[in-house]
Amino acid sequence: MSAHSHTDHLPAELEKATLEGRNKILGFWLFLGAECALFGTLFASYLALRGNNMGGPTANELFDLSIVALATFILLTSSLFSVLAVHEMHRHNLGKVRFWLAATVLFGLAFLALEIYEFVHYVHEGHTFSSSAFASSFYSLVGFHGSHVLFGVCWIALLVAQLGRKGLTVVTGPKIYVAALYWHFIDVVWVFIFTVVYLMGKVG
Amino acid sequence: MVHNETSSQKIKRAPVHEGMKNHYITFALSIILTALAFFAVMNSDLGSGFVYFFIVILAFVQAILQILFWMHMKDRGHLYAQVTFVVAALVLLPIMVTALFWIWW
Repeated sequence: MSAHSHTDHLPAELEKATLEGRNKILGFWLFLGAECALFGTLFASYLALRGNNMGGPTANELFDLSIVALATFILLTSSLFSVLAVHEMHRHNLGKVRFWLAATVLFGLAFLALEIYEFVHYVHEGHTFSSSAFASSFYSLVGFHGSHVLFGVCWIALLVAQLGRKGLTVVTGPKIYVAALYWHFIDVVWVFIFTVVYLMGKVG
Repeated sequence: MVHNETSSQKIKRAPVHEGMKNHYITFALSIILTALAFFAVMNSDLGSGFVYFFIVILAFVQAILQILFWMHMKDRGHLYAQVTFVVAALVLLPIMVTALFWIWW
């Protein structure tokens, strides 16, 4: 309770309190627009090349839907955690902001572990980056998404550490908000990956 | 003065608290939509043409839900973001579709 009254002089929406904060959010939306173009081209090349497996394993033979379902659930839950962090930021509850961001990082790591396990399994099945056009476009698309998850995990982990030193201010507020936007975007991209790559691969 | 400030802050914060219910509803709907998509693919009785169409629609519905509620796009003050997003979609989708048809045929 004492920590709460200590920060009561702060504005309710930290991320929109300063012009710099508002500009940061607008700039981040422009960045996400560019990211849409990046993933759009990767999706287009995957869709065009996914039939060319050069005698290697096909999408239908490779993919295991139970692992994909688990990965989807993990990433979706971590996206909820990051929105909870923004909610607690609006309530000026530093401890809970750091807790939910740390939970986001942990679930992001779990997602990465599953993806690495999956890729290692595929390589043993003869599905390597250079084995076919299908494999190259698959690893490019899913790998780019995975590297975005890795970047997000490092970013949010550093943010949790910085929040421990600096606390909630009009400077750290926009950082939390923008990191949460990034994480939601990663989850939205995954929605299309599990639909276009995995589910469509199983349909044939 | 001081009392005035705290009461005005409480008024500002009120809608933020209500927003939490929407976030949980978005989460539940996302899980239901995902489960429906997986179920449609695992159910071999449905035609593959229908399943393709169905799961793509489900993906777009889930994406729009998350963009509106989790990425706060439905909140006020998001005009620039909304315009950017709609223009990006209108420009990108035709380019992607054209490129795909060009490669296939």
